Amino acid sequence: MNLKISALEYVEEVKNGNLSAEDFVSETIDRIKNVDEKLHAFLQVNSKAIEQASQIDKKIKSGDKVGSCFGMPISIKDNICIKHSKTTCASKMLEKFVAPYDATVISRLKEQDAVFVGKANMDEFAMGLTTEFSAYGPSRNPWNTDYVPGGSSGGSAVSVSAFECVASLGSDTGGSVRNPASFCSTVGYKPTYGLISRFGLISYANSIEQIGPVTRTVKDTAFLLNIISGLDSHDNTTIDNTGQDYLADIDSGIEGKKIGIIQEMAGEGTDPEVRSATNDAVSKLEGLGATCEDASIDMVKYSVAAYYTITATEAGSNLARYDNLRYGYDFPVEGFEFNSYISKARTKFGPEVIRRMILGGFVPSAGHAGKYFLKALKVKSKLTKEIHEAFKKYDYLVAPTVPVLPFKIGEKIDDPIALFLVDFNTVMSNLTGIPSISVPFTISKGLPIGIQLMANNNEDKSLLRSARALESTVKLPEVPI
Amino acid sequence: MTKIGLEIHCQLTKLESKLFCSCKANYRQYEPNTNVCPICMGLPGTLPRINQKAIEKATTIAMALNCSTPDHIAFFRKNYFYPDLPKNFQITQLNIYGETSIGGSGMIMVGDKKIRITRIQLEEDPGRLIYEGSSSKNQITLVDYNRAGTPLVEIVTEPDFENPKQVRDFLNILSDLLENLDVSDPGLEGAMRADANVSIEGGNKVEIKNIGSFHDLEKAVHFEITRQESLHSRAIPIAQETRHWDDKRKITISSRSKEEELDYRYFLEGDIPWVEISKDLQEKLKAEMPESISSKKERYISKYNIPEQVANVLSSDKFYSDLFDSSHTEKNAKEIANIITTDLMGLVDTTEKRNESKLEPTHLQDLADSIVSGKLTRTNAKNALYEIVKTGKNLSQIISELDLGNVSDENELIKIIDQVISEEPQAVEQAKSNPQTINFLVGKVMQKTKGKADPKLTLELLQKKIS
Amino acid sequence: MVTEEEIERVAKLMKIDVHDHKEYVEKVHEMIDYFDILDSAGVSDEEIKMKSLPLSSFREDKHIPFEEKLIDNLKNYKGTYVRAPKMV
Repeated sequence: MNLKISALEYVEEVKNGNLSAEDFVSETIDRIKNVDEKLHAFLQVNSKAIEQASQIDKKIKSGDKVGSCFGMPISIKDNICIKHSKTTCASKMLEKFVAPYDATVISRLKEQDAVFVGKANMDEFAMGLTTEFSAYGPSRNPWNTDYVPGGSSGGSAVSVSAFECVASLGSDTGGSVRNPASFCSTVGYKPTYGLISRFGLISYANSIEQIGPVTRTVKDTAFLLNIISGLDSHDNTTIDNTGQDYLADIDSGIEGKKIGIIQEMAGEGTDPEVRSATNDAVSKLEGLGATCEDASIDMVKYSVAAYYTITATEAGSNLARYDNLRYGYDFPVEGFEFNSYISKARTKFGPEVIRRMILGGFVPSAGHAGKYFLKALKVKSKLTKEIHEAFKKYDYLVAPTVPVLPFKIGEKIDDPIALFLVDFNTVMSNLTGIPSISVPFTISKGLPIGIQLMANNNEDKSLLRSARALESTVKLPEVPI
Repeated sequence: MTKIGLEIHCQLTKLESKLFCSCKANYRQYEPNTNVCPICMGLPGTLPRINQKAIEKATTIAMALNCSTPDHIAFFRKNYFYPDLPKNFQITQLNIYGETSIGGSGMIMVGDKKIRITRIQLEEDPGRLIYEGSSSKNQITLVDYNRAGTPLVEIVTEPDFENPKQVRDFLNILSDLLENLDVSDPGLEGAMRADANVSIEGGNKVEIKNIGSFHDLEKAVHFEITRQESLHSRAIPIAQETRHWDDKRKITISSRSKEEELDYRYFLEGDIPWVEISKDLQEKLKAEMPESISSKKERYISKYNIPEQVANVLSSDKFYSDLFDSSHTEKNAKEIANIITTDLMGLVDTTEKRNESKLEPTHLQDLADSIVSGKLTRTNAKNALYEIVKTGKNLSQIISELDLGNVSDENELIKIIDQVISEEPQAVEQAKSNPQTINFLVGKVMQKTKGKADPKLTLELLQKKIS
Repeated sequence: MVTEEEIERVAKLMKIDVHDHKEYVEKVHEMIDYFDILDSAGVSDEEIKMKSLPLSSFREDKHIPFEEKLIDNLKNYKGTYVRAPKMV
């Protein structure tokens, strides 16, 4: 059986009776058994997946109404809650946490008869960009298992890239969907802030993060977006997109569009391979009838510093609730005083989480907020203004998704500033709320390079069209696993 | 000069649901941790869903206290660890990025004294802690989160009070006002709490926290002033500190600030967009505001000629004024006001009694009419009222069941009067020369009729007979 | 300069026992040093604002009890209490 099909192809095949959901899911589970020991994309595999798929087959056979996913196997990043199953955020702190509710994206996918094959590995609480900070061990890049798959949604990208599922949901706080997508040669999407409900997504930096699809094709992302996006009364920050069909006209091209190439994102510090891939991508976009020119966004220089200041502050607050009183792990309270108990209980956090929380206690604290946190917020608002100015001139912006090629596991783990700079090209979209997408573009030295396209707020549909156009110019080799 | 400022926390108990979730706002009838959901328990992945009505009601309070109301409001996180805070931060309001708290500066008159309001903010109430265990080894804390997330309005005043009496008067006015606005039931346990800050001439400001009732607030302030004056008289400096009110011993105790320095790291709550409160909406809320206490009082005096003291009592208590406004006509207004402020008051002096009372406005109309027409004496009207409140039966049924009706049939009354005249010849003789004595004979008639004789009619008939 | 005492203070504020101060001091210090770049952004005049929505877009005041007895699924004590350490 061919597991290497896209989500839309899967739907077509099952709909036409050429494929049963049960067979496909069962084959997928076998595939996970075969490759995941090596890749570690999953923290947990759903033991009921095959049975659930067979239920959907029964519905199809009996002519009942079937949801548009037709039993499609999807993996879910382990910071998105599925009712009555464990959601650990790849942390020992939440080792035993069982969510009593479904995230909105989960209930919408359930309604459309998706099957969740498992919970995908990630950096602990999504803090990281290599998946090395998972408390349960790193995931590996299927293109070369000595290399990091990117992160924090590393498990999502690995599982899609290595055919352990058809599609995945990750979350993107500063590039956490796009970065692993680029490193693993999948499509990774960060929608306009508010397009997808965050209800049920365990917060890291809630004011800028979004859930986003990781898929094999741009059309698959549009397909998933049609299901999971839109207003949700459980999330007061969601936006109304009634009537939007992200798949419609997705092939209509980008002729006559204007594209800005962000100079700050392709300069010094960019790997020459990545730079040349970006140049190629620009030529391809021009070949499709778009006009490309250099664009400059001054505030980009400060965006990583602003990003880490804001995320550390919000994380410090969002993770405060893990005091081990209401849920968590076994650790009796007797004999302790409150402060000493929770300070001890919280040592279950991994070192990166602890670092960022210390940072998050520092930058907004009474003596330092003016120098760090407030300035970061102001950079965010000035950057947003600059972006809106840029989009008066351009339909899209383009840059490499990540300025460097995938690197080896362990290579940068001890160098926080080197890691900061890996995020350089992705954090802008989170700080400003704009949609952006990483499209697989080329393979260099056996490692994938993705190209990032960005559009203005609420221009998600148009952005997907541009990504589809770029994707259509690319023919990539198959993952060597 | 003594300066006292207050921070008053008032729960919006009249709302159906909590501030950020659909659990019950009035948590009092629940077993521990059964009025909770993933949101108010702060479970990972949940987001606050703000209650429209809470914002409307809090805005109404701001308006009633003559505060400015901004066209949009913002929420902030106040970060600190405490077991009663499920998220280990509290969602509250501040004015650090412009005026974004639900109410800005305002003022209220307490007699002739103007008390300035600094700010009003809307926030979530924490849960409740119960301390268990006696030895330091087995001591633990039990937490009940039923209250967590209850909408709480914090009213912050300037240090404008000079003595505990002004504090008490202010609190009385404030609690009547909140009740009149139908936002809160100040009678409910824990619905109103306060912190105070107190300083005397030349001394530092001392904060008193943890005052669980308005009654204790006045005591705490009084205690604190006395304590500070005593220190001052002995030339001992007054430390700037936070003290706790000890509910049992009725004293303030230093919190011995070994606690780590407070650093709340306030920042905007990103999960709640800023909320627009348009001018139109503000106009609408203003128009829908219940009539103010002072306006009611004015109306009662000028329209019905009700004495000022009675009007005061009637207007300042929403339960009474609602009853009055739904029962009176121009003719019986004065009589109904009387019944409420003299007879009814003792029968419904607690929230429980009010909730249990079966009294309807029609009962009051019937009672007033019966008194005016002489069908019931005041004494018996009071007895009937007692029965009505207890049973809710209609007045005529009660009159016949308890045999309370007046003997207003002249013939029957004459028979009884004749009997009394024949039994009391001496008194009758005296009454001829001394008109005062006639009251003795009226009393005798009353005795024989068990108080049911119409006193006016009896007197008239007696006077006729004797002369 | 970020000192060990400062890290200690912040770790206490964030309620995390830190054993290896040196490791944290170095890394956090490096991160905070990098943030100094914010000083040259020239953003002092910027306003901090958030998206605003009309009141009507928010939740109506209705009591809807949670479908499950949530406390059963959480750590509980004597049936329905949550247990915390003693307070000082």
